[in-house]
Amino acid sequence: MADGQQVCSASGIPIKNIYTPEDTKDIDYDRDLGLAGQPPFTRGVYPTMYRGRLWTIRRLSGFNTPEETNKLYREEYELGQTGFSVAPDVSTVVGLDADDPWVTADIGHAGVPMSSLEDVQATFEGLPIEKVSTYMADRCGAVNTAMYFVMAEERGLDLQEIRGTTANDLLSWSVPALINQPPPQAYVRYAVDFIEWCTEHAPKWNPVSFDSYNARDCGLNAVQELGMLMATAIQYIEEEKKRGRVSLDRFVRRFSFNTGLHNDFFEEIAKLRAARRMWHRVIRERYGIEDPRCALFRVHVQSSGSTHTTQEPLNNVIRIAYQVLAGVLGGAQSIHANGYDEGVCLPTDQSMLLSIRTEQIAALETNVTNTIDPVGGSYYVESLTNQIEERAWQYVQKIEDMGGMAEAIACGWVHREYMDATIEHERRLASGDITIVGVNKFRMEKEPYEVPIFRWDPEAPDKQIERLKKFKKNRDQSRVNQALQELERVTRSGENVYPAVMEAVRAGGTLGEIAGVQHKVYGVWHHPIGV
Amino acid sequence: MDKNKVKILMAKPGLEGHWRGIIAVSSAFRDAGFEVIYGGHMLPAEIAATAVQEDVDIVGLSILSSNYMRLVSETVKELKDRGRGDVMILLGGIIYKEDFPALKEMGVAEIFLPGTPLDEIVEFVRRNTSEASQKVS
Repeated sequence: MADGQQVCSASGIPIKNIYTPEDTKDIDYDRDLGLAGQPPFTRGVYPTMYRGRLWTIRRLSGFNTPEETNKLYREEYELGQTGFSVAPDVSTVVGLDADDPWVTADIGHAGVPMSSLEDVQATFEGLPIEKVSTYMADRCGAVNTAMYFVMAEERGLDLQEIRGTTANDLLSWSVPALINQPPPQAYVRYAVDFIEWCTEHAPKWNPVSFDSYNARDCGLNAVQELGMLMATAIQYIEEEKKRGRVSLDRFVRRFSFNTGLHNDFFEEIAKLRAARRMWHRVIRERYGIEDPRCALFRVHVQSSGSTHTTQEPLNNVIRIAYQVLAGVLGGAQSIHANGYDEGVCLPTDQSMLLSIRTEQIAALETNVTNTIDPVGGSYYVESLTNQIEERAWQYVQKIEDMGGMAEAIACGWVHREYMDATIEHERRLASGDITIVGVNKFRMEKEPYEVPIFRWDPEAPDKQIERLKKFKKNRDQSRVNQALQELERVTRSGENVYPAVMEAVRAGGTLGEIAGVQHKVYGVWHHPIGV
Repeated sequence: MDKNKVKILMAKPGLEGHWRGIIAVSSAFRDAGFEVIYGGHMLPAEIAATAVQEDVDIVGLSILSSNYMRLVSETVKELKDRGRGDVMILLGGIIYKEDFPALKEMGVAEIFLPGTPLDEIVEFVRRNTSEASQKVS
């Protein structure tokens, strides 16, 4: 590029031609960086990082039916995957049962349908849930997680020992245009109830994973991503502070995070470093929580689906590998490499294998794991880390001035940010301001090759509807009704709802019935997306 | 209301939540001077009923989960049942190439994959709607 032309990072931070000690002269090593495993954790959350333990290779997956998803999970386990990550199908995310007329066409699409305890049992049949950790991309109120917990109880496992994570996150929930959702403030109530419950009953379970992945995929930049992520976590802590039921150090002890990995390589590394320092500041400075374990920004990262192209899909293999490398250099605890065919279809067996191999090659062949935070001390990366942090704090402030994240969502501002980012991205793409190889540059007249595609099972909906009907017929209906009535009473009372959710699941209550109580009490929120 | 304006109903049949594409295309249509009704999530019958009620020229469907065959055919059927088989149907999203012929056979006028320049989509509408071509020329 020509000299004198303004070059910016993906989030608009002006980038110099070269960085020098002048750019990092205000950094105080002990105050701003420190060793890995030591405050402010900029260089890593653990003292030994990947030399002690590699990141978890974890793919979000699930499709067709619980049985087929179970088969997939068994294969993933055999391949050396160390954690499961449950993608519920859209009907489950929305909170409608398989026998609801709205969902028929969607059952088994983009995830596994889990309307009932029986579906969760079938999904994990024969899998050693005591040995692995499971991530549940659960809908509002952690209802599928309750099913997972009840399954664990039935297997005779102690919930005190069970490991995993529930999404339980307002930010990622706010993104997809979902019907049938309670308002954001109600979401926070359910989320905080679940965290409180876990501190006592499932202390090794991460009760929330604050997740900016979806938001980033709308077109937000790294600064907005971090700003919304921190503002959401702050919203939860403020809610608990108001309630005063659990001490804040216990409340935040197992908070975890999830971000996207985008194309701007160094900015993504700097983003993860800045996030660790910011979270430490939130915990230590804002809330005065002393326990250093609470200040660990433990993060799962995922290559961004929005960067994967439909054109020449094999190019995505390269994009994903770079994004994974940024995640590794950024010190992530868990990584999901997408299927390269994300823009074409749901992942095939071949692309699923390749994404696991992508991570294994980065981990075991490149030696990038030999030392901790290998880019630390780079004039450029340190300067970028500082600037991202500074700008992200300003963004947090903006959200707080609106009354916090739930309010910012409820008033429509957050969705305006999403939509503006989407439209701005298209404008920049059309103008050539950003380059996507094979899409707006070097585009081929005709697609040069085709890749294998995944075919969804057209019988999946019928199988699922049949199973649910049988499940409902075999349960004790009066016990279900009683449990749902009790759930409604507790929801209205303001007590913690989760014990009643667990009881409703034990009684045979379905996802749709439990979500139905949420709507009865809180009403349905209209997602503010439109033109 | 300008009778010459092309009127488009944009909708997502089914439940799947990806809205980025439909918002980008809806905005491009609006900026091009078309009249856009953003329906968001709708069942096929609701799409058809709205198309009739609003007397639209085009229905734009966005589907990024793999259930488009069923959702498109239901939408087409619902439109025909209401005597509006003439409405132009555009489909965008993640659609398998090998399904293109069957979808066109069903009555889809054109299919746009992710990465299609928005100008191309707008241009397609202009070229294929007579009112619009009079208006822009």
